[in-house]
Amino acid sequence: MLPEGCWIDVDGIRTRYFEAGTGEPVVFIYGGNFGTGDSASSAYTWSEQLAPLGAYFRAIAFDKAGQGETDNPRNDDYTMAAVVRHAAGFLRAMKLPPVHLVGHSRGGYAAARLALEYHDLVKSLTVVNSGTLSPGVGTNEVVLAKPPFAAGTRECVRWVYENYSFDPKVVTEEWIDAVMHTLSLPKYQESVRKMGAGKLGARLFLPELAREKRETLQWINEGRLQRPVQVVWGFDDRTAVIDRGIELFNLFARHERRALFHVINQSGHFPFREHPQRFNALLRRWVESLA
Amino acid sequence: MRVFIHGGIPGITPYASGSHIWGKQDGLMVEVSGQTVDAMTQSVRKAIEGKGKCHLVGHDLGGLLAFNLAIEAPQLVAAVTAVASVAAAPTGDGVPDITLAHPPKPLWSRESQRWALERVSYSHHHIDDAVLDGCVKAAARQATLDPDEFVPSLMKAKSRLYEVCRTDGIKAPCQVIWGSHDPLGTFDHGLWLFRGLAQKQRVSQFHVINRAGALPFREEPEAFHHLVTAFSEGSS
Repeated sequence: MLPEGCWIDVDGIRTRYFEAGTGEPVVFIYGGNFGTGDSASSAYTWSEQLAPLGAYFRAIAFDKAGQGETDNPRNDDYTMAAVVRHAAGFLRAMKLPPVHLVGHSRGGYAAARLALEYHDLVKSLTVVNSGTLSPGVGTNEVVLAKPPFAAGTRECVRWVYENYSFDPKVVTEEWIDAVMHTLSLPKYQESVRKMGAGKLGARLFLPELAREKRETLQWINEGRLQRPVQVVWGFDDRTAVIDRGIELFNLFARHERRALFHVINQSGHFPFREHPQRFNALLRRWVESLA
Repeated sequence: MRVFIHGGIPGITPYASGSHIWGKQDGLMVEVSGQTVDAMTQSVRKAIEGKGKCHLVGHDLGGLLAFNLAIEAPQLVAAVTAVASVAAAPTGDGVPDITLAHPPKPLWSRESQRWALERVSYSHHHIDDAVLDGCVKAAARQATLDPDEFVPSLMKAKSRLYEVCRTDGIKAPCQVIWGSHDPLGTFDHGLWLFRGLAQKQRVSQFHVINRAGALPFREEPEAFHHLVTAFSEGSS
């Protein structure tokens, strides 16, 4: 369960966030992007982290621009660059000292890009199962092609997350409720229309992301990260296979002494939901070792 | 209780291992003895019997001994951490590793052992007087193993480990920790050991510590400690 939600204005974007505990700030960035009709992420993704890690740190999860309950990007700027700018703006608006940033999937890309562009806001980086950030071939479109249920239905959502996971039982009714809530929001439906029928997904979001990914990997390869980094991977993720995690770790490790790689067995794309106790223990010790 | 089991093959590994190799750790340090892997396993068993279920942390050959004990006496083992355990990892049809070929003589002198420790490390900075003193003392009392007796026992133990991994699985949570620059075993060796364990043991993990060689607990003690502690916490 998440604690009571809060709101903050981030450069004109009304932003929803949740926090628990005090001390070293640990900020979580979930995956996915706005405008997807068969799944929808929100801060709920980190529901197994906030309270347990809030016992040791100030754990914060926020809704990215256009996702969860946060407003859509302004001026139809449906790009990952806008998502990263908003995330950096959120850290500034919260007046946080440098944070331990934890990013999953597309959020792993956003977290790494944020760390590369705004070094002063970041103390360490944790990347979890991020096919978006890692080099190589993404297999989302293969594994999750054409769900056998209508987009936007509970059945479709369940099918998508079950196929992301090692153990389908990890996809609870509560998780599906959280996704369905996001999908039902008028502002989210607007983003679905704009990304789909409005063609912003194909014309703007994906090409811009591809261009910036090249640049991001070049920057990592040049050693621009300059922060301790760890890569955590669910061993059985079919959408971002382990070889991609290894390649990503090797990129980071060339330049950063404090680089670790972790593999968690019997876990798909969401190791922090399939094995929260193990994931939280690793994250707790990581943050404590850098405090 | 956490139990640390050193590696090294007396009379063959050109530095003499022992409890001194671990540096400062919180737990019981076992001195391994015996001429074969089975005899060595019994020496560890004798040291931990009556101490409840232990988290066995084994380096190289010590990792294989820990798995051996988890197979034959699961009631004594709460978890296994295998560190840079080339002895437990698949051998494959590899080429001979020449990292430790031609050690300077006299063998097991302080300088010869310093050479060996440097060769297996990413950086020489962890090689201090304490570890060299420990190596010299351990070398003075080591009984050279007969390879004709030891090597077959090693191959038999590895074969049994992989069989158990494929069938019943190790009955305790397992993790494999590897140094990214281990000259004795590649990243792939560590990953394949993990893949074997992961077949039947749900609670299994693989970790790589950057800029560490075959002694990651000496080169990056903080990262090593955090992995061992997190594993205990996460699998409790």
